[in-house]
Amino acid sequence: MAAVVVTPAQDLADLQGLLVRGYGNLTSACFLLLEIDEPAAARAWLALTADLATAADSRPTASSLNVAFTSSGLRALGLDSTVIEMFSNEFVEGMATPFRQRLLGDTGESAPDSWAWGGPNGAPIHVAVMLYAVGEGALATLRDAETRRAAAHGLRTVSILDTVDLGGSEHFGFSDGVSQPAMAGLGRPDRSANTVAAGEFVLGYPNQYGLFGERPVLPRSADPTEILAVDVAGSGRADLGRNGSYLVFRQLSQDVRGFWRYVDRATRRPDGTSDPVRRTMLASKMVGRWPSGASLVVAPENDDPSYAKFNDFLYQDVDRDGLRCPVGSHIRRANPRDSLDPSPGSSRSLEVTNHHRVLRRGREYGNRVDVATLFDEVGDDEERGLHFVCLNANIARQFEFLQKTWINSPKFDRLHEGDDPLIGPRQALGDTFTVPASPVRTRVRGMPRFVAVRGGAYFFLPGRRALRYLANLAG
Amino acid sequence: MTPVKPEAMSALGELLGAMARDVLGNDVLPFGRLTKTHFARFFLLDSAQAHDGSQLPAYLIFMSDIDGRPEEGLAELVDVGGNGIDHLYCHCIGYPTALPVSRQARLEYLRAHIVRADVNYVNTIGRTVQQIRGEAEVREAIEDFLDRGGPELVGGNPSAVRAAIREFVTSDGRLNWALTPAPAPPLAYRVRELVHFAVPVILGLLLLPVLVPVLLVWLVVLRLHEIRDPSPLVKPDRAHLDQLRALEDYTEQNQFIAAGFLKSGWFRHVTAVVILWLVGFGARHLFNNGNLAGVKTIHFARWILLDGAVRSVFVSNYDGSTESYMDDFIDKVAWALNAVFSHGAGYPATRWLLFGGARDEQAFKGFLRAHQLPTQVWYAAYDQLSALNIVDNARIRAGLHGDMTELEAQNWLRLL
Repeated sequence: MAAVVVTPAQDLADLQGLLVRGYGNLTSACFLLLEIDEPAAARAWLALTADLATAADSRPTASSLNVAFTSSGLRALGLDSTVIEMFSNEFVEGMATPFRQRLLGDTGESAPDSWAWGGPNGAPIHVAVMLYAVGEGALATLRDAETRRAAAHGLRTVSILDTVDLGGSEHFGFSDGVSQPAMAGLGRPDRSANTVAAGEFVLGYPNQYGLFGERPVLPRSADPTEILAVDVAGSGRADLGRNGSYLVFRQLSQDVRGFWRYVDRATRRPDGTSDPVRRTMLASKMVGRWPSGASLVVAPENDDPSYAKFNDFLYQDVDRDGLRCPVGSHIRRANPRDSLDPSPGSSRSLEVTNHHRVLRRGREYGNRVDVATLFDEVGDDEERGLHFVCLNANIARQFEFLQKTWINSPKFDRLHEGDDPLIGPRQALGDTFTVPASPVRTRVRGMPRFVAVRGGAYFFLPGRRALRYLANLAG
Repeated sequence: MTPVKPEAMSALGELLGAMARDVLGNDVLPFGRLTKTHFARFFLLDSAQAHDGSQLPAYLIFMSDIDGRPEEGLAELVDVGGNGIDHLYCHCIGYPTALPVSRQARLEYLRAHIVRADVNYVNTIGRTVQQIRGEAEVREAIEDFLDRGGPELVGGNPSAVRAAIREFVTSDGRLNWALTPAPAPPLAYRVRELVHFAVPVILGLLLLPVLVPVLLVWLVVLRLHEIRDPSPLVKPDRAHLDQLRALEDYTEQNQFIAAGFLKSGWFRHVTAVVILWLVGFGARHLFNNGNLAGVKTIHFARWILLDGAVRSVFVSNYDGSTESYMDDFIDKVAWALNAVFSHGAGYPATRWLLFGGARDEQAFKGFLRAHQLPTQVWYAAYDQLSALNIVDNARIRAGLHGDMTELEAQNWLRLL
């Protein structure tokens, strides 16, 4: 028996580039959301798109194009429903179901009924074309060319999602994207605590359990011209999932002024004047990092930009009780590292946490807030936020678990109340944030929701052979 | 556990559905009026055909986790339900037909259908509903007191803050009961538990020379079974999943039921019975204090063998989502799940009883979901508290009593 291939390192030309890089050098980006009107024409479009799609084997310097499909998009392309059912339930059913509304906290103003795209009341989303370029001019050229090419092939543009380059920070004013998991045997090596199996993100390879995740593997007869790779798990079938990934896309609207007004009021001096030092402190406690990106674990008292990119820390030994970085803070929830059961501080706990990691590939959108009116009662109410994009091989165990069990749960770790102070949905018990301190904690209450969901969908980001396979489907 | 008249199944299902729409106040059994019940549920187990072709009946199963003896719980159930008990159980075989049935006859019918669980896991044995609710209120009140941030709290050392909290609790007539520590289990109970623990252990040690060779032979036979037993990869049907998911994630707690056939043959049956006994023994004596081998999110759980150990049912009340529950099983206690569940038909292949099995993530999740049953009516007495919250609330209350060093006071304040 041949040795099992454990990483896609030898097959990078088949991966779409987004799996291994966020295209940080391509500072402008936009996302086209398309609906397939004419399947045959769409397949002809895809045949060319498969060649255009940027692969992972080299770093693009001018522009990039990646493409992903919803399950209804695959159906519209003509993929057989028995094959679609081989994908994971989450992908097949989509993001906007009553069950997932509870799980993800998509209720109230974040309910799919009122989404700008991806909800039950909007046009179906079949395809996402993700475009990246250097500068807005180059992006506009690429965007216009791609919308025209799509239209010429019976693909209707439902929405164009623009983005903005905030130079590495997000709209609330904090450096973002400091922590990403590393893939074993692929890309830049990292310490073992932050390294997980490639199969956690790329389908068709062993995951952290040494197993192959849910993906469609077809009888060889369904692939007569042998476009697809053979399943390395040994089934002898053709692996349509190989080198693909599940892509979670959510448009997260940020109430930046609401956030800063709330933090400002919660930290005023007894005489009613603002206290900028305490204000930044509370905001940073909520995030778990200072605006520069420095972790509160290593810089507990003041922001220290020399730690801006520092990510090599754990919680249990230095900050078990969250006196530095609160247990309920955003980054401690998003990646609790070694701090949870079964045995906090141990490699076992790290191992369990690492079953729930995602690769983040989001981009900000909307104009930067005017700092001059940040704390005022009236000011701009422009739409701005994050086009949250993440990649994972098991949506239920990775993205949905993270969102439900860590971000949204008021019972995270040993907490009694409070969801993620930055992005939580404020369901029951959600609106309290506890700041551990000596001799005793302080807490803020009545937090409004600062982040609302405006749209979303689950996509499949196929490998390039799979793109060609889909382009060759019979009508 | 009461067998259902075949012709009454759909009517009973509808009645349970109506109860579920108003669990606390419905007129069949208003659960909100039960005072000793932590969790309770009604569910239907369908009739099925056994391996030998015999027809197994459908059951209406009522399960509850209560304070005190089963008879006390039954009495409260009958008193709160009143005529509602008749409306419910008239769908079941053997229930008196002349309505209304007397209180005594209702009690007798229910008593005659009590089934003992083979394994009964209780997060913390001896903690009552009243105590759990009361301690949660005490914590809330202390938290609110701290939020008001009086002058006595500013700049104080841990002992001073603790003293201020104790003074606050003392001054409030609705809270000061908490200054007295929770009662320790009575001596007679502790002696009985010690004997119950020691006798089998001593017997086991004495019989060791006999047990070891038996165990070795058993292990080899087991391994042969494991190699032979089929373990098909099952992807649960979507309609079934939808039915289950429609009942999940409304509060911080969830319920779970899985039912299925045991693998056929006497070897698996005997093994299952012995292992369930061992697990029940462990749950009673070893995992009786908030920690089931690393899993701290389960309030109550049970395993029961039915129809002469042909079918089995597993039931639990836990914190968080089904996904996180199954992940806990896989990541933290796969060995224990394997030891018990691997005698169920279709379970993912195990090796030497403890290995493999649940570690096959997709196969295990598929197996559990496929064998899961909807809980028609579910009651939870404190649905906003996690099991860890309850443990911490008890520690907060305990810390109101007695002397503490500065360090102890500091550690106690960290619970708040």
